Amino acid sequence: MRKAFVLASTLLLVSFVLQFIFAAVGGFTRPAGDGAYALHSVNGMAVIPVLTLLTALFAALAKAPGRLIGMAILPIGLVVVQALIAMLANASTDAAGASTPLGLTIAGLHALNGIIAVHVVVGVAQAARKLDRPAPGGVVPVTVREGEPA
Amino acid sequence: MSTGSVLAVDLVIAVLAAAGWLGGGAASAARRRPLALGLAAFALVATLARAVTITALARAGWWFAGEKVLIAAPLALAAVVVAGPRLLRAPGDIRSVALPLFFAGYAQSGALLVTLLHGYPVSAGVGLLALAGVIAATAVSWRALGAGPSRAVSRAALVVAVTALVTGTGLAVAPGAAPAVPHNHKYRDARTSDEPTRRFVLTAGTATVSVSGRDVAAWAFNGQVPGPELTGTAGDVVEVTLRNRDIARGVTLHWHGYDVPNSQDGVPGVTQAAVLPGQEFVYRFRADQVGTYWYHTHSVSDLGVRMGLYGVLVVRPAPVTGVDVTVPVHTLAGLALPEPRTEPVEPGVPVRLRLINTDSTTHRYALAGTPFRVVAIDGSDLRGPTSLVDTAVLVPAGGRYDLVFTAPPTPVALFVDGRAVYSTGPVSTATSAWPVLDPLTYGVGSPVPWSRVDREYTLVLDRGLDLRGLLPRYAHTVNGAADPDIPPQVVRLGDIVAFTIVNRSQVVHPWHLHGHHVLVLSRNGQRATGSPLWLDSFDVRPGDVWEVEFRADNPGVWANHCHNLAHADAGMMLHLMYS
Repeated sequence: MRKAFVLASTLLLVSFVLQFIFAAVGGFTRPAGDGAYALHSVNGMAVIPVLTLLTALFAALAKAPGRLIGMAILPIGLVVVQALIAMLANASTDAAGASTPLGLTIAGLHALNGIIAVHVVVGVAQAARKLDRPAPGGVVPVTVREGEPA
Repeated sequence: MSTGSVLAVDLVIAVLAAAGWLGGGAASAARRRPLALGLAAFALVATLARAVTITALARAGWWFAGEKVLIAAPLALAAVVVAGPRLLRAPGDIRSVALPLFFAGYAQSGALLVTLLHGYPVSAGVGLLALAGVIAATAVSWRALGAGPSRAVSRAALVVAVTALVTGTGLAVAPGAAPAVPHNHKYRDARTSDEPTRRFVLTAGTATVSVSGRDVAAWAFNGQVPGPELTGTAGDVVEVTLRNRDIARGVTLHWHGYDVPNSQDGVPGVTQAAVLPGQEFVYRFRADQVGTYWYHTHSVSDLGVRMGLYGVLVVRPAPVTGVDVTVPVHTLAGLALPEPRTEPVEPGVPVRLRLINTDSTTHRYALAGTPFRVVAIDGSDLRGPTSLVDTAVLVPAGGRYDLVFTAPPTPVALFVDGRAVYSTGPVSTATSAWPVLDPLTYGVGSPVPWSRVDREYTLVLDRGLDLRGLLPRYAHTVNGAADPDIPPQVVRLGDIVAFTIVNRSQVVHPWHLHGHHVLVLSRNGQRATGSPLWLDSFDVRPGDVWEVEFRADNPGVWANHCHNLAHADAGMMLHLMYS
């Protein structure tokens, strides 16, 4: 189960890296049509949620310490919040569908929350590897601060 | 503050409350006392603040608040009752409040998920599922925190959770009245048999079209985007032969806003089969409605219209006098159509601009340099339109506005979302700050032409989890269901039918009923006092409640859907049928 935990958390980290790449792809696609963020949407709405659930599940099954399980669960909440931020940012347009300062401020939180989430996932992936292959004595256990609730 | 804003604020507060409780729980489990107490206090304030937003929503209408009052409020109350006293006592070992805080967090999160996944109609099944989830998560946390519950408590929790889970699942998946959408139902074929006076042939096919100097892959009628402009004079019998050269997913022609007989309405699977490559279909109808309309494919309509399968249909009462310009706005592969056009117009010449929005989202039109009147909306003439100046109009997806003015000696320009699309000369005017016309108070009112209502339907628009298909999807829903599982609305010929359309979601839904024009009675409780508005496309904004009525005078099975075609594809489509 520890191997599965390592695998799931590593895949989750990879999918997060891809998610940033897909955001850049969307941002630089010309002309900026409806489909520019298709990869970002699919990865964010399907792949990442599944991998966050698997990571949390394997953390629990691997009998990881409570704090690590908590950290593995945290991305689930952050991913839900991330989708909500995107929804609210899209909703905060003027009557003709153009973006507003409020909407762009909320959109900024989407990036901020993304940074927090990837920070947490890096910590989970590192801790999962430590758990799988305990370091010979004397090594300081990895400490990762818990992400601020978004 | 609009109801739409209150909906958004309520959602944000709910997320903050859930995050605060869970964060407080985690902090206390890690024995970080000040952080835990701070987060818990914050969560408590947020939870109590929701009382204000939920009350405001309940005042705006039960549709907006039902699940929040019946599911979220009891869960929030349980959260406060369980977590509050423990916090006040603030025991020496802060870790002992972790479980109550986690419980409060799960209760808040559960209520939030109910709102997001299946908020309307509020149901006991969904409430019980939320309860089961909260109990299960709390039990797991109890174990994880070390000191598990006593055997009796453990058993009781298990029994309650399993009972809630089983009952909730049973209630949630219990088959409702299986809505049989009648396909290919044969109504009297009211296609006119008169000899056509206007004949057109439209051939759909893939094409490469040039937009602003770029080559764009498109789907086109007769190789052009938009398709040919079909025009006629009142009384014409129009015959259009539709051929499909190579659109593999099929095409049809829907006459948007034109109340043709049902067999000519062009909805695949309902009024006809989609026209596949190599096939053809002949549409024939009498052009007895004058005004500005458009046509588009209704087969894979989101993709098909976006790719370019649309065009203009204009029926005039008499031959054109003056200048008559159609402005069908569209976004093709991210490029704006039509391309800007400038033509000088002699002063004193009457000009009519027919604004058509063929996109899936609202566009803002601003006519600078002249006073003007809005003489028709969705093809229907307005009563007593007054002169407007420096005023913008918002045209919903699928909607049409006709503007008229007399050409002044100075240039005039029409801007769409700030981009000049038609002008008689150079104009540089900032139009972004102009006020927007509210058609509900424009023109001269007249009494409603009927005094009774035979059928009343409420359509609550939202998002929700749809598990009935092969793959789960986050659908756009009507009354908690998604196409094809939305029960059809049944009316009798001659009925006066009332729709109340409520938008619980965070996005605009441009509503479009086929085969009929609806009369707008009120929006958000404000009566429409201006000219009677007979619309076929109108924007129901987040938090809006529209009351509209129509006479059921066109027998058949009619699509009734959101004209943001991506939303229609994602479930927001139902049918109106005659018994």
